[in-house]
Amino acid sequence: MRTTSEPIALARMSRAKVGMASLIFMESAFFAAFLVTYLYYIGKSTSGPQPIECLDRGPVLFNSACLIASSFTVVLAVRALARGAIGLFRVWLLVTVLLGFEFLAGTAIEWSGLVTAKGLTIQSNAFGTTYYSLVGFHAFHVIVGLLMLVGILVLSMFGCIDPRRDHARVDVATWYWHFVDVVWIFVFLLVYVVGRVPQGGGL
Amino acid sequence: MIDPRGREPNEAASAADVPYLRAIPRPTPWPIVTAFGCTLLFAGIVTHIFVSVVGGACAIIGLIGWFRDVFPHEAVEEIPVVGCEVPLPPPEFAAQTAGVRETRRVVPEAIHPYRSGVLGGIVGAVAMAIVACAWGLIDERSIWMPINLLAGILVPSVGDASIEQLKSFNGAWFAAAAVSHAVLSVLVGLVFVVALPMMPRRPLLAGGLIAPVLWTGIAWATLRVVNPTLEQYISWPWFLASQFAFGFSCGAIIARFNLVRLQVGQSIAQRLDLDSSGDSNGGAS
Amino acid sequence: MTSITGHKQGSPVQPGGFWEAVARWTLSVDHKKLGMMYIGAGLVFFLIGGLEAAFMRLQLARAENTIIDPETFNQLFTMHGTTMVFLVGMPVLLGFGNFLIPLMIGARDMAFPRLNAFGFWLFIFGGALLYFSYIGSEGLYGAPGAPDVGWFAYAPLTSRTFSRGNSTDYWILGIMVSGFGSMTTAINFIATIFCMRCPGMKFMRMPMIAWMMLVVAGLVLVAVPVLTAAQTMLLLDRSLGAHFFDPETEGSAILWQHLFWFFGHPEVYILILPAFGFVSEILPVFSRKVIFGYALMVAATVGIGFIALGVWAHHMFVVGMGPELDAFFGASTFLISVPTGIKIFNWLGTMWGGRLRFATPMLFVTGFVAMFVIGGLTGIMLATVPMDWQLSDSYFVVGHFHYVLFGGTVFGIFAAIFYWFPKATGRMLDERLGKWCFWLLFIGFTLTFMPMHISGVLGMPRRIYTYEADRGFEIWNLISSIGVPVQMAGVLIFLWNVVRSLRKGEVAGDDPWDAWTLEWSTTSPPPEWNFDRIPTCTSARPLWDRKHPEDPDAHYE
Repeated sequence: MRTTSEPIALARMSRAKVGMASLIFMESAFFAAFLVTYLYYIGKSTSGPQPIECLDRGPVLFNSACLIASSFTVVLAVRALARGAIGLFRVWLLVTVLLGFEFLAGTAIEWSGLVTAKGLTIQSNAFGTTYYSLVGFHAFHVIVGLLMLVGILVLSMFGCIDPRRDHARVDVATWYWHFVDVVWIFVFLLVYVVGRVPQGGGL
Repeated sequence: MIDPRGREPNEAASAADVPYLRAIPRPTPWPIVTAFGCTLLFAGIVTHIFVSVVGGACAIIGLIGWFRDVFPHEAVEEIPVVGCEVPLPPPEFAAQTAGVRETRRVVPEAIHPYRSGVLGGIVGAVAMAIVACAWGLIDERSIWMPINLLAGILVPSVGDASIEQLKSFNGAWFAAAAVSHAVLSVLVGLVFVVALPMMPRRPLLAGGLIAPVLWTGIAWATLRVVNPTLEQYISWPWFLASQFAFGFSCGAIIARFNLVRLQVGQSIAQRLDLDSSGDSNGGAS
Repeated sequence: MTSITGHKQGSPVQPGGFWEAVARWTLSVDHKKLGMMYIGAGLVFFLIGGLEAAFMRLQLARAENTIIDPETFNQLFTMHGTTMVFLVGMPVLLGFGNFLIPLMIGARDMAFPRLNAFGFWLFIFGGALLYFSYIGSEGLYGAPGAPDVGWFAYAPLTSRTFSRGNSTDYWILGIMVSGFGSMTTAINFIATIFCMRCPGMKFMRMPMIAWMMLVVAGLVLVAVPVLTAAQTMLLLDRSLGAHFFDPETEGSAILWQHLFWFFGHPEVYILILPAFGFVSEILPVFSRKVIFGYALMVAATVGIGFIALGVWAHHMFVVGMGPELDAFFGASTFLISVPTGIKIFNWLGTMWGGRLRFATPMLFVTGFVAMFVIGGLTGIMLATVPMDWQLSDSYFVVGHFHYVLFGGTVFGIFAAIFYWFPKATGRMLDERLGKWCFWLLFIGFTLTFMPMHISGVLGMPRRIYTYEADRGFEIWNLISSIGVPVQMAGVLIFLWNVVRSLRKGEVAGDDPWDAWTLEWSTTSPPPEWNFDRIPTCTSARPLWDRKHPEDPDAHYE
């Protein structure tokens, strides 16, 4: 009889990993629709503020650098957790969260400048409509990712994170943060590089 | 992927890590609370902001409750089933027995060899061409008429031609007609190879009579779209006669070849002919 | 035979009154209960959507009829289409996936049982929100009214200028919420199929339904988020004054069509692929043969999944996209007939030479194959650009997609209900009533939808609330309307059959059809933990192997 020595091959792949990968796939489709829409409307605005007047690359580059850096710090945090160094894990996670907050704050400052100084709102023209919706939905996803990271941080402060038990779960949760980062690269390229055109300067 | 017959036991799959082996998730109110909250959150957009606030609160409470269901350990109900941690062992199978069972039969089990289809197609093409040319000579006084009309399948300019042009030789049209006639005939011959053994009872009857009648019917219905020129001049009795000529001669040629067993649906042992099930391996007569 | 070790009835056996029963069902995370609730709720919406259609046919039975006013008619066809696609087709098919996938691949539950419950309740609440519009919205003239913009809600009809009040917002939000439910369920399907298969259940041994549901889940994950995105944009347009789809202010109405149909066409395959799965499971069992060309079937399914993402603009030939795009989308649509044709021929090859048993599930399945072929052929006609220019937005199109979705999906669903009802409840549905149900539905269906092809070719546009008397439409519309009571009789007989069989139907036993997939190896109804011992799979027909150790499929792989 090979009953007892039979491999219990039930959990072949991690359910959490497959589920998170599917979620990311789904979110990619969602963002793809917004990105394509943005691409479609580049240079179509005939009146109102134009991208080349409104979009200042300086602060955005700094914000982007912070967001990209947070992807690396979160990897360091997960590695620390894998080694069982819970203190180091907390530090790197805190750094990640702070970098994420910096990105959100930067977006908020940029938006308030656009609204007050340049008079660009979602109602202004096609550029305003697509810009605020695309960047806004990305910011919303950053908030969701940050909530997850803050939740993990708080749990670890209360000692609820066991490195051996929860390492894989935390790892999967950080996939979402990486996804938010990668989406930002696409958003940045589309909005601040490709789409920074004068009036009527379509593709 | 792990094969059940593989040797290696899965490393470290202790029962506690894989709760599904002996436990089912406990009923919980939190998913429905969360879903209700999310819906209210959206419904507030069309009703009142207060609805959204209540919905948001519901959703947050639901999410927290949900989280406590799965962290740090999944809330489960133990199932008092003995021995359920162990998968059912695979059944012991008897040694391979001969013959393909009915349940795995692929129809047709045997076909005529493909070369018989090619040969039959060529012979049928010649027979059909003879009848068609006879129609041209007898009815229309020109052997080129049916050939030029056939070319209309490939060459649209045939449709604009006058009746004199249709009755005289045209090299390009002749080539088009010859090529399409040959290709179509061989293809139909190959279809016959597979189709004839599937016909109930007398295959030659099906190939020689039923198929031409069916085909003529289809052609009658669709020809004005496929080849309007041909449709304009065609004589349907002669058309049917030429189809009969093809069907009978092609079918007769193919039926002279013995059937060859197909190897679909047979086990590997049978394909390698390890057991002698007595079937002929086919071949020319 | 199936070597079932008698399980100890250790679960809390189901006593108690009404509220305990409610709690048992609402709090449950059991995939079987959720699956049955999906199907039950879907059938309730099916009756509602069917009644809406019946009112429309009543109005159209005679020329210049005045039973229903134009505004109500607009609401009826909008709600009928929306209900049937989002609240009947998707939930019933996802419900079958829920019920069947874990049983068929030998798992104890779905990968994420709580997420599963969450998705189901989102669907229910989303549907309720949509129907709440009948009493809660400010429709036209300020009175409450359901959405009236058509199920594909073309811009700019949905802009605030043309759609006053907030009934369109109800449409957006109701569909969006139930769409979130579909997406979570799709994630669950993928994780379940990847991670929860029993030992030996390789991908190429999975039942066809698991394959179909895997492809469907992939399509949901690509297509539904795009609809959600488009609806979000529309909501921004309507509530914050953005300019996505309003052509008067730099927006583009065509963009809505592209986004909607990028969702809308894969949605058609989301609705038909599970029905393909039902056919591929039921047909072999009632033909007593192995399915013809399993590997080819899988390849065709995956092929359909990919091609389905590249055909959406064939809904837009009359928009004026230009000859290149027209040609591309026409050709890609023709291309999809290749894998579909492969499936049809494989089913015929399965039946050919088998010992056919025409029980009710088999009747519905053969009806499916025949009707779907007709729907597929009219689909090829519509994929031809000039033909589409002539027939687009006519009743020909209505006839075409009802052949695919009613003759295809609904017949498939009925076949599946008759086939798996004994597994879910432990009792058989009545055969005699089942045959009545099939023939009434089949005849009523043909009466209703076949004449639509003719009235469409004669030039009758869809979505008109009445027509003039001398156009030659009358007789065909009358025949269409006569079919409706016939279909209703069939549905009523079906409902009576379910109610009666639940109480005193013949006890089914574990395996009433002598079938070959794993769900028939456990008890009927299955225990909450599905299998006493996790089965081990040895071939694509694991139960055949257990029943026939002298001639197992395992020898043929």
